[in-house]
Amino acid sequence: MTPAEPPSGIGNGAVAIRVAGLQKNYAGVKAVRGIDFEVRKGEIFGLIGPDGAGKTTTFQILAGVMEATAGTATIFNMAAREARQETGYLTQTFSLYPDLTVAENIRYVGDLRLIPRAEIELRGNRYLTMFDMDRFTDRLAGRLSGGMKQKLALACALVAQPQVLLLDEPTTGVDPVSRREFWDTLAHLAIDGLTILVATPYLDEAERCHRVALMHEGTIHQTGTPSELRGSLGAKRLEVHTAALSEAEDVLSGHHDGILDVQRFGDRLDVIVREPVEGQRQVKLLLGAANIAIDSVRVDEPALENTFVATLRAIGREVKSPRYPGLHPHRDIMGQIAIGATNLTRHFGAFTAVQDVSVEVKYGEIYGLLGANGAGKTTTIKMLCGLIEPSTGRMELAGESGSLRSREVRQKLGYMSQKFSLYDDLTISENLNFFGGVYGLSSDEIETKKRWVLEFAGLEGKETALTGSLPGGWKQRVAFGASIMHEPSVLFLDEPTSGVDPLARRAFWRMINQLADMGTAILVTTHYLEEAEQCNRLGFMVAGSIVAEGTPGGVKRAQTGHLIETITTEPQRAADILRTDGERWRISLFGDRIHNVTDGDAETSMRETRATLAAAGIGVLEAREIPWSLEDVFIAVVEKAKREERLAAK
Amino acid sequence: MRRILAQARKELIQITRDKLALTLALVLPIALLMLLGSSISLSVTELPLVVQDLDNSAASRSLLEAFRNSLTFHVVAWPVNKPPMEAFTANEARAALIIDRGFGRALARGGDAQAQILIDASDSNTAKLIQGYSSQIVNAWNSTAGGAQRLLPVKALIRLWYNPGRVTKKFYGPGIFVLGLSMFPPLLAALAMSREGEQQTLLQVYVSSIPAHQFLLGKILAFMVIGFAEWVIMLGLLFTYFGLSFAGDPTPFFVASILYFFCVATYGTMIGAAIPSQAAAIQAVALGGFLLVFLLSGLIFPVENIPPGLRWISNFVWGRYYMEIVRDALLEGGGWAAMWFNVLVIGIIGGVFFLLSWRRMRRMQLSI
Repeated sequence: MTPAEPPSGIGNGAVAIRVAGLQKNYAGVKAVRGIDFEVRKGEIFGLIGPDGAGKTTTFQILAGVMEATAGTATIFNMAAREARQETGYLTQTFSLYPDLTVAENIRYVGDLRLIPRAEIELRGNRYLTMFDMDRFTDRLAGRLSGGMKQKLALACALVAQPQVLLLDEPTTGVDPVSRREFWDTLAHLAIDGLTILVATPYLDEAERCHRVALMHEGTIHQTGTPSELRGSLGAKRLEVHTAALSEAEDVLSGHHDGILDVQRFGDRLDVIVREPVEGQRQVKLLLGAANIAIDSVRVDEPALENTFVATLRAIGREVKSPRYPGLHPHRDIMGQIAIGATNLTRHFGAFTAVQDVSVEVKYGEIYGLLGANGAGKTTTIKMLCGLIEPSTGRMELAGESGSLRSREVRQKLGYMSQKFSLYDDLTISENLNFFGGVYGLSSDEIETKKRWVLEFAGLEGKETALTGSLPGGWKQRVAFGASIMHEPSVLFLDEPTSGVDPLARRAFWRMINQLADMGTAILVTTHYLEEAEQCNRLGFMVAGSIVAEGTPGGVKRAQTGHLIETITTEPQRAADILRTDGERWRISLFGDRIHNVTDGDAETSMRETRATLAAAGIGVLEAREIPWSLEDVFIAVVEKAKREERLAAK
Repeated sequence: MRRILAQARKELIQITRDKLALTLALVLPIALLMLLGSSISLSVTELPLVVQDLDNSAASRSLLEAFRNSLTFHVVAWPVNKPPMEAFTANEARAALIIDRGFGRALARGGDAQAQILIDASDSNTAKLIQGYSSQIVNAWNSTAGGAQRLLPVKALIRLWYNPGRVTKKFYGPGIFVLGLSMFPPLLAALAMSREGEQQTLLQVYVSSIPAHQFLLGKILAFMVIGFAEWVIMLGLLFTYFGLSFAGDPTPFFVASILYFFCVATYGTMIGAAIPSQAAAIQAVALGGFLLVFLLSGLIFPVENIPPGLRWISNFVWGRYYMEIVRDALLEGGGWAAMWFNVLVIGIIGGVFFLLSWRRMRRMQLSI
């Protein structure tokens, strides 16, 4: 449906960014190994790839702050370094001064670029108003939430009115609501003629680019529009719902012609097949032979992630997930309550961070806690693992309700977060010995577990390497391994896979599923909703309370409204027109497609949309109802809860 | 110019936001000056001296009086029946004066009158000084009261200049003043610079295409302002608590001070640019700013007393030249004639620091 490049209305032929034969070698490492791409004016181009793919290096060369080893990088036919006045660059850390206020940050950047004072003020105010941040001009940048920091960094970059915007993983650590607003803003800026190059490790964000390039280990493997890339796989995706996920996964994962890939989610399997009818027949046959009942099978387009995984497999990349050497499984307690929280409330002074939260996670279950920044997730987790006491409410953890910080309880807990890290100045082996020792494992057991961690992380034979020398994704896997060496029966994972590439992320989840199958209770938090699909049950937190709970499929089915996808001749103008009726969140722009959340009847809504757009002279190429994604559900749930809160306040 | 001012302004805002840094910048120099300036003492005054006057004649009492009146000694009463050595072991005295029976009579006869001085030589330096001072006192006494009948062919006349009362804080005050200026402004400058590297805000600066010299000058200017503020505060303290005042033409001191602010601010910026880690930068500045200035600038030990193997280093220690200027301005008053060379050297060292930091930053891009 999507037109081939350039996408509708985008790009009038002028090439904004041209990268040809670009190479960069650091001390012996080939970070970028000769890449070529072109970005047209007004286009949003995504550089998609895991940590260590060479994205940041490419950005630094394009921003003119690093020299290339070979090849050229030009912006409007000027060498990148000479074109710095035309470039706005958002680094991964946003490069803001935390001890300056919002206004001071903007002013400093404007002064450095010699923009007239009055202009700085004018443009600064315009962007802050656009980003709904004009109330915060006197707040210190360090005190802003992740989403607001991101918007401030964008405002700082825009004050110089650049022609090209370079965004290096701009949404890391930013919650889904802010993330969607951010992408809406980008779409808007692109329509105004700004060229945007954006890097991200997340494939759901890639869907919002006009074109993407899949980058891995310094090489670009595929370039095209998201739908071209999806189509290039030449396959369909079957969503198979069954109660016996683990067994069904084992059956289907054996090598079968026609089944390209099997991925397990929280309440379904995704099976990639060459041909839908034949594939369905085969799946039913195989599962039938193994006496596994199928609840339903649905055919859909493959996701971008399926393409990426297939591309990586094609170049011989495969991540192993060796069986976890569980010596003390918790199968006997499976189904009993591991984390039982009843009506937890926590006040900080006059502020109520968490209000009346009840969570129940059984042994063998994966529970996902989702929420925007400031929704009370962190406080909740701290109470759930006994780090802080609830003001009121009852907590039960690993069969204990009295002292949650006793040695016995802590021995049963595992905890891993982005921040929990290994000692950089110890070798991998020393780190693992240390964590094994801390939990009192015997030296035999430490050896067994160490071998397993090294295999899981793909670091066999490298155990004497300094941990600090590992790239993020690898370190993350070692840290995960270290946190489960003592076979905890309750495991807390705080954004465990941020910055990990899709293949490694799969290995993570295969491992998490294995642990759950062994009887471990697992509580996960994440900002990425494609990842939340992997959980058995989800809880959505808004303003300190859990407002929705259920299986991924359950929360989607619980949506009373409908999700309409519309493809129009003028996506941005159409989105602006549809958005005028108050609730902005209902309309979101994904590349050239508009997602519209409606509470009424789907047919009526589509008719109304067509009429509204026709009145403005915009043609509708296609309109259809599409299944809810978890992200759409999340946004809808959060916005509705906020609206109710506002109504209650009045 | 606008970029330089914008840069300086940003740095100053950041410092005023950081309460800890502000305290470091303004309160610590005062504390340093008060503590070190009044506690360091390498000269000997008020040394406890026990006296056993076994003679108890008019002459012996007169000799005792001479010791009592000296600045060096402080007479401690000691029972006649207790051996004076016990005063040493009990740490109550550093020296003992014992006047034997018949001292007065022998003196009156014109014969050799003997008094014994015992010195605790466990601290050899002090012992030597005590020896010198006590013979000085005895000589002086000889020539007046006791020695009327004798002709002393040579009489040593010793006068103490510049600091007649040998008030140590007048000597150390200006030294600590220099130490303070050599430590805190570069420390803050280094922290501010290395933080830009650590938090990657430097990338944003690189992208803005501001030239390296403007970026550096902006930073340096801000920390010169900090240096000036500390200078005012500490100088005020020197004039009041330490009782110092300008001894002569203060203009070389003023010119040198401005150059010195530049020199130390640039030194800190240079360190911060070379070491993009705050913890390591602190170490480096502490080594240069504190250790070199503390040990090799004549603050405590005269430069001439430093072993020759190390003495040459002091030629490169910026604090040494400023120290001489400050002492000259507050104690000696030699003016331009005495100090022009030092002013020049401070300017040159500052210039070298600036060139080095500019070399490091000139490309304004990532060095890898």
